Amino acid sequence: MSEEVVLSGGEEHIASAISEEVVITFEDVNKWYGEFHVLKDINLSVRKGERIVICGPSGSGKSTLIRCINRLEPHQDGHIVVNGVNLDANVKNIDAIRSDVGMVFQSFNLFPHLTVVENCTLAPMWVKKMPLAEAEQIAMKYLERVKIPEQAQKYPGQLSGGQQQRVAIARSLCMNPSIMLFDEPTSALDPEMISEVLDVMVELAETGMTMLCVTHEMAFAKKVADRVIFMDFGEIVEENAPDEFFGNAKVDRTQLFLSQILAH
Amino acid sequence: MAAVIERGARDSRSTFAKIVNDERNRSIFWQVIVFGLIGYVCWYLFTNTAANLEARGMSSGFDFLGTNAGFDIAWSIIPYEPQDTFGRVYLVGLTNTLAVSLLAIVLTTILGFIIGVLRLSHNWLISTMAAWYVEIFRNTPLLLQIIFWYTAVFSVLPRPKQSIDIGGIGLFELNNRGLYFPEPQPGDLFWITMLAIFVAIATVYFLAVWAKRRQLTTGERFPVFWTSLGILFGLPIVVFLVTGSPLAWSIPELKGFNFQGGTSLPPSFLALFFALVIYHSSYIAENVRAGILSVSHGQTEASYSLGLKPGWTLRLIIIPQALRAIMPPLISTWMTVVKNSSLAVAIGFPDLVSVFMQTSINIGGHAIEIVAMVMLFYSSVSLIISAALNYYNTRVQLKER
Amino acid sequence: MASVESQSGDVIVFTPKASKPPPPTTVGVLGWLRENLFYSWFSAIVTFAALYLIFITFAALYQWGIADAVWEAESRRQCLDASPHGACWAGIIVWFNGIIYGRFPLDEQWRVDLGFILLVLWLAPFWFPRLTGKIGIGITAVVFYPFLAGYLFAGGERGWFMQTMVLLAVTVFITNWLHIVVSMVTGRSLREWVVGVTGFADKHERLHKYPMLGFQGIVLIGVYLWLGNWSVSEVNTNLWGGLFLTLLISVLAIVTALPGGVALALARRSHMPVIRVSAIAFIELFRSVPLITVLFMAVTMMPLFLPPDFQLNKLVQAIIGVCLFAAAYMAEVVRGGLQAVPNGQYEAAKAMGLTYWKSMNLIILPQALKLMIPNIVSNFLGLVKDTTLVSIIGLYDMLLMLKAAGQNPIWIGLHTEPLVFGAIVYFILCFAMSQYSQALERKLKTTR
Ligand SMILES: Nc1ncnc2c1ncn2[C@@H]1O[C@H](COP(=O)(O)OP(=O)(O)OP(=O)(O)O)[C@@H](O)[C@H]1O
Ligand SMILES: [Mg+2]
Repeated sequence: MSEEVVLSGGEEHIASAISEEVVITFEDVNKWYGEFHVLKDINLSVRKGERIVICGPSGSGKSTLIRCINRLEPHQDGHIVVNGVNLDANVKNIDAIRSDVGMVFQSFNLFPHLTVVENCTLAPMWVKKMPLAEAEQIAMKYLERVKIPEQAQKYPGQLSGGQQQRVAIARSLCMNPSIMLFDEPTSALDPEMISEVLDVMVELAETGMTMLCVTHEMAFAKKVADRVIFMDFGEIVEENAPDEFFGNAKVDRTQLFLSQILAH
Repeated sequence: MAAVIERGARDSRSTFAKIVNDERNRSIFWQVIVFGLIGYVCWYLFTNTAANLEARGMSSGFDFLGTNAGFDIAWSIIPYEPQDTFGRVYLVGLTNTLAVSLLAIVLTTILGFIIGVLRLSHNWLISTMAAWYVEIFRNTPLLLQIIFWYTAVFSVLPRPKQSIDIGGIGLFELNNRGLYFPEPQPGDLFWITMLAIFVAIATVYFLAVWAKRRQLTTGERFPVFWTSLGILFGLPIVVFLVTGSPLAWSIPELKGFNFQGGTSLPPSFLALFFALVIYHSSYIAENVRAGILSVSHGQTEASYSLGLKPGWTLRLIIIPQALRAIMPPLISTWMTVVKNSSLAVAIGFPDLVSVFMQTSINIGGHAIEIVAMVMLFYSSVSLIISAALNYYNTRVQLKER
Repeated sequence: MASVESQSGDVIVFTPKASKPPPPTTVGVLGWLRENLFYSWFSAIVTFAALYLIFITFAALYQWGIADAVWEAESRRQCLDASPHGACWAGIIVWFNGIIYGRFPLDEQWRVDLGFILLVLWLAPFWFPRLTGKIGIGITAVVFYPFLAGYLFAGGERGWFMQTMVLLAVTVFITNWLHIVVSMVTGRSLREWVVGVTGFADKHERLHKYPMLGFQGIVLIGVYLWLGNWSVSEVNTNLWGGLFLTLLISVLAIVTALPGGVALALARRSHMPVIRVSAIAFIELFRSVPLITVLFMAVTMMPLFLPPDFQLNKLVQAIIGVCLFAAAYMAEVVRGGLQAVPNGQYEAAKAMGLTYWKSMNLIILPQALKLMIPNIVSNFLGLVKDTTLVSIIGLYDMLLMLKAAGQNPIWIGLHTEPLVFGAIVYFILCFAMSQYSQALERKLKTTR
């Protein structure tokens, strides 16, 4: 699937600006759904400005992992620290983290009863108490960045999948997050729409945003990622720089996965 | 040559077939048949009816509406005396039906929403109890429930002397003659308080508009709900006290065997009201639950991940979307409440069907006119309600796509 | 990466870590309780309050309905003397027969049972897997069963018409079941089997109907010899009542509402204005007025509408009213079903060059009917509940029998127990049907 996608602006890896500051830490995190052990002893630390691509077979726990970061899923064991805040049942912490961590879903999840621009202004106005004019200005700025300012007054139902996903990215960006999470943002899209979304994500990477991205778009991973993480059975099997990862995987499981995914 | 002749022959043969098979002709043919059939049935019924009426020496026409009804009606919203006309009886029945229906609609909607939300409670015990509430009341006939409330609850209450004092403050007395409660008797200056209520409502409205505008311009929010509550209650109360409490209450008091003073609702009203509210609330609950569930969980997650708190998520994301699914069936349930209030006739509550279709026909005849008038009432209500529904649907659809 | 073991060479073999059991407080009974009942201090309070509520309700019900109940007594007085605050189930036991059969004579009640059993046997094949000709069986049920059942219930003299219909009904019933047995045993339909046995198999297709007709003729003659002179005594319809009458009216209404509803729904979708407007007027009128007004209309206006020498009894009047009412509602169910059939099906039927009626009968209606079944079941459920309204115009359906118990001089004042009993009976009936309808709906959703 990866070969078909052509990213504009060439293939070479874009420069990264990783600082020393650690923004996300997983420390021996374990999570269960009922009896089912989904995340096993996860240890991970992400530095500011770092771009991480997570891949792995279906059901390996990728979504669960990134959904733990803004506590859409609670974990039962270990510690997750985001921006210096330890995630636990404390409601205040959760609100603070969520407004600073943007998330983009596989199924867009735009609010169908609001226009595109209302989708974007809602959270800034209610969470950040921003006046409408300012919120709209910011919304238009990000809608321009994702290249659909002309759709601002439409309802989500009137847009194509690729356009909807770009609105969803803009909507998250309007909260001015310091970290962006993407959960397979292109896998519900028709092939011709994938690259328009990936282009937007590449541009976002160029701004130095910290990004965690579950995706199987290998071209995107090669171009953007500072680190690729391969998961299976709820574990991090291998993590490495993209060159090493794609060219010289060390674990047999990773090699098998890569050969399967590239054989498509 | 031969071919030409053959073709000509075929053409002449098929002219008739052509006419018969032409779609337009066929359609006209069938319509004439149906029209004729309906016309014949109407004519047949009409001649029979005319003959029957003549044979029985009965008159027809709406003149009877001006004549004396001569029977009493146990409970009415608008004043009524036995000397009043059948026309007045129609109005009494109509207002009684509307009164009990409207009251039931308000209460059943509130109760239905509560049960529907409880049905989705995270607490297993609560959601299970709500589910059984819905199943039990939905799956037993409404008429049985009405009769149950009437004969097994409100008719076997103690006599007035042993009335149940609801709340223990001597104001609300429940016994086998009904529910007695104080009746307000406004004094001379009470209109100022009424005025204050209107002023309060207007103020709240403008406050809401202002608060909205302020949020749009400055981003600052204003606690509209609590302030409004304060204004709505505070202003009238202050005005009321300042003008010297110009409102007397007629309090029901036990004199001899019955209560004097105050006002009351008969057991038949209470039974009908309770049954209507409970029965239909189970339908509304199911509908509310389905409506809320129709908003996908992804919406909640998207809202949370933007930092919107659960309360705001409910108010800004879930409820507006759920209402779209809830409103249409809700409105048709309201229609059903109005229709089902006609079951009052089974327990003698004087609704339209009971006083007009039953008592009036028994006493004064004129079945055809009366049936037509009653059906006219229900059809009009239904037309109004479906017009409201259409209006809502088009408004929502216009916004969507 | 603790689970990744280094090996000789630079490929590392990955062996998944064994799953660990979750923290004990999150699973099992304890986890379930924490998750569903005690996830916060507030939920704990709510849970205890709810438990208390359930406890007092059930304790009161137990006290009234079981602990203090009286099961044997000859009058309400005796019940009250034995236990003033308990349920008087003795009354229900005495009235049980009346609640089920109304005032149908005791010696003749087997006819009601038989009629019911015949209906079940007639319809049972619908639930048999891999049986052909189900639609035919359904049509025979609608066309013939009512006459057989009608005669069983009413009895008396049979005119030539009733005689024909009853004998035909029995014949059809027998051939239906022969067909089922033959299909089960040989895997061929009865028709194919008869054709084969009589040696018509190698004859022309057109001749195949004759052996079957002959076969049915023989069965009919057999039935005539068997039942030609059979008769049962007359039972006046005003003795019909109880649950029997409730089910009778509902079944009749749903059976007539189906064809009526299909006709009305097709008329409503027609392109011919006269037909469409008439259908809309009928449907909307009957849907906008309460059933009770339709029933009042039936009993007060039908005598005026019909010639004086042709008057119907109250039961027939009520049934006509309920049927018209049910047809209007069924029309909307059918319309929903027709709308749910994908547009492509209509177009495909047109493209095949089928006429309107052929495409409806062969393609659209069978699909629509399948989609409608859950709604038809819930419509029937509504009818069973609505049938209670006939008690208002004085027919002794189950509800009026329940009320009658409390008005009988010996049992005067016995109101609560019959109503509770009736509520339980109705609940069981309606709950079962609504669960069935919901299950069908789920099945339809998953198989589509
Ligand atoms: N709410 C839940 N309850 C129970 N099990 C769940 C739940 N959500 C996910 N799972 C299970 O947890 C495992 C991991 O799920 P997850 O969604 O994280 O996988 P994934 O790697 O994102 O897979 P995919 O590529 O298909 O999205 C799966 O086996 C899934 O069945
Ligand atoms: Mg996933």
